[in-house]
Amino acid sequence: MKSLNLLISFAKYALSFVIAIGLWEAYARFGGLNELFLPRPSKIGAKLYNMFFETGMIYWHFYVTMAQMAIGFTYGIIIGNTLAVLAAFNESFRRYIAPYAVVFNVTPGIAVLPLIIAWFGFGWESKIALATLVCFFPPFINTLTGLLKKDDAAVELFQTLGASKYQFFWKQQLPNALPEIFAGLKLAITTALLGTIVAQFGSATEGVGILMQRFAFSLDMAGSFASLVTMALMGLMVFTIAEVMDRRIVFWRDAKGLERMSKKRSKKIA
Amino acid sequence: MSYSTTDQAKHVSVFRTLPVHLAIFAGLILLWEIVNLYGFEDRIQADMIAPRPTHIVLAMIDIFFIDKTVWHHLGSTFQKALLGASIGTVIGMGLAISATLSETFRKYIKPWIILMEATPRIAVGPIFVALLGFGLWSAVALAALVAFFGPFVNTFQGLMEIDEESEEMFRSLGASKFQTFWKLRFASALQLISAGWKLATASAFGGALVAEFIQASEGMGVLIAQYVIMITMDYAFAALLSVTIFGYILFKIMEYMDYHLIFWQNDLLMLKVSEKRRKKMGVSS
Amino acid sequence: MTATAKKAENQSQFGQTVIEGSNVTKVFGETVTALEGADFNIRSGEFISLVGPSGCGKSTLLRLVAGLIEKTSGDLFVNNETVTKPRTDIGMMFQKAVLLDWRTAIENVLLPTEVKRRVKQEDKQKALASLELVGLKGFEFHFPRQLSGGMQQRVALARLIQTGADIMLMDEPFGALDEFTRERLNVELMRIVGELKATTLFVTHNIQEAIFLADRVMVMTPRPGRIAQIIDVDFERPRDISIQTSREFNVIVEQVRDTLGGH
Repeated sequence: MKSLNLLISFAKYALSFVIAIGLWEAYARFGGLNELFLPRPSKIGAKLYNMFFETGMIYWHFYVTMAQMAIGFTYGIIIGNTLAVLAAFNESFRRYIAPYAVVFNVTPGIAVLPLIIAWFGFGWESKIALATLVCFFPPFINTLTGLLKKDDAAVELFQTLGASKYQFFWKQQLPNALPEIFAGLKLAITTALLGTIVAQFGSATEGVGILMQRFAFSLDMAGSFASLVTMALMGLMVFTIAEVMDRRIVFWRDAKGLERMSKKRSKKIA
Repeated sequence: MSYSTTDQAKHVSVFRTLPVHLAIFAGLILLWEIVNLYGFEDRIQADMIAPRPTHIVLAMIDIFFIDKTVWHHLGSTFQKALLGASIGTVIGMGLAISATLSETFRKYIKPWIILMEATPRIAVGPIFVALLGFGLWSAVALAALVAFFGPFVNTFQGLMEIDEESEEMFRSLGASKFQTFWKLRFASALQLISAGWKLATASAFGGALVAEFIQASEGMGVLIAQYVIMITMDYAFAALLSVTIFGYILFKIMEYMDYHLIFWQNDLLMLKVSEKRRKKMGVSS
Repeated sequence: MTATAKKAENQSQFGQTVIEGSNVTKVFGETVTALEGADFNIRSGEFISLVGPSGCGKSTLLRLVAGLIEKTSGDLFVNNETVTKPRTDIGMMFQKAVLLDWRTAIENVLLPTEVKRRVKQEDKQKALASLELVGLKGFEFHFPRQLSGGMQQRVALARLIQTGADIMLMDEPFGALDEFTRERLNVELMRIVGELKATTLFVTHNIQEAIFLADRVMVMTPRPGRIAQIIDVDFERPRDISIQTSREFNVIVEQVRDTLGGH
């Protein structure tokens, strides 16, 4: 019964999509839509088909972009989380690093792009560098916030149990900060993708960013929209993976997660 | 035993922290100068990777007061960001209000919103530039596209999230749908809406810069790129610093607005507004 | 049996002194005297209620005994040792259950054991038994967010039992619950404490609850916090809710109210 409802709502969404696309196509064919601005869906679809299944040229660009994003993301979360842990446990560090954090926060990381290209060149390094730069901040702020959450009652409890600082950290502080930590990770991965693509606009020979730019500048609108669709796909993939991981690890936020874990744990001990 | 990480920050007076801040800053600058002067074999390489702070300061004086080039470009980027943020906010809030008032609209717009959220919207940049040219409007369009999401999500969340009891009270007073919307939903959502505006300005700023990088005739993005191409890195840093300062000023303006708009967050401000309203009503104290 | 003889018999059922405080004073900062000159002598197996309005020092006294804060002056001994820091023969319950959201009930109960050493099969068995004792059989693998407030407090109690502590300190554990749940838990608490033969200090601002549960009630007044009076409560155990309407019970309630007077 539940899956039937799910199917129905999915069908409703799909329908609205289909209608919208249908109207778009109709407008293009009969309504005099200037296809220089907005090519018809069928042309975009054809181009996509070509890129994915006929020439298969998209796969390399797809891979390059994802790889650059992944590496930038990894660096970003390592840096961001390390800074957060240092700031959480050392008050002086936190205080004296604050103004520099504000500076980072108000500067659009993108403004540094020309310098990054000058320093790192046209290859992968500059893309990874920009991705790292734009995505390290959310994990830093979020993990820090999570670790600084004050729970006086929990502190007292652990004191009465005679727990050490390390035990308190591993058994309470860290798990308690997981919701915030994962919020930061989710932001980081979407930002890293953004940074990678923008860096590719600046200068690149491979990647969906430069691909799209080339199409756009040669006024191959179907191609550039097709690249956009590809990027949307990448974004969705990345977003979904992040969401799923969040739901699985921070399971105690919703009832379904609790039920699932409850069953799992009962099998473990019993 | 105390698990000292979560202790309240001991209140240390400004007199003790400010000197340390300044000392650290001075130390970093000094380190930077030393790295430039002695850390590289090649002067050119040194000036490219870590231009001397003294040169950067001179460059800043030049671009701001002597050559005065930067004002024009700052103005251009600011104009693009402001226009983009305004348009984006209007669109975002408009969509949010429609979604709040009409359930069908809400249902059918949902998949598109999820799609919007997942797509790196800034990626549309080249398309806009190709279609709208190198001037103002491609940057404004991109800035608006990037900026609309924050106000949309925040306004929507703020308007939808109302306290059931408050709504019942309004209904019991016989308030019309419009009255409830304006006096209850909108007012209580103000905090989130204001936060949405802050997001819009920040993203619009970034969006404008990206458009400029792709291709533009003027703006801070163009200026920084030009300085880099000419390999006058001290000027590039100076331009970057100007962007930071500008961003900070924007940030402070938004904070100020937010602070005064959501006056009930702050006790002192509440008192002031209370006095003002008393005078307005003509009731003697 | 005469009143004095009955009292003597009641007193004799308790063992030797377990908690002893003389002239205990606690001052916060330089001006706030939370507790002044407290004298008390608590014997093994006794249930002591600490009752009074906010600021009377009852929570402070509890935390001093627990070793969470340090006294400013006076002497305080638990099991003949001076109190310096939290110890394993003392267990505590708070107004909030303070369970870890990401652990099941039984894993929460096993937390004290985990902190001290490696968890063995017998510990798990004991945890299951503790949960059964507090009436939560079948809920061992539920998470805190799947449990009601009353059930969460029961888990907290089971956790306390798991520590094997024979001195239990409770700071308004049922304060956040509705009256019906509270009454039910009071009855169960007495049963459990009786079975375990534990020495209990129970802080509450509810006069009925304080008298109903206790062997002796320490009435405390604020500004500065001090023990104004210690009243004996002689009802036989096991006690039934109905005693709360009896005349003898209300006499004691009156006594407490008088002592609290204008505070």
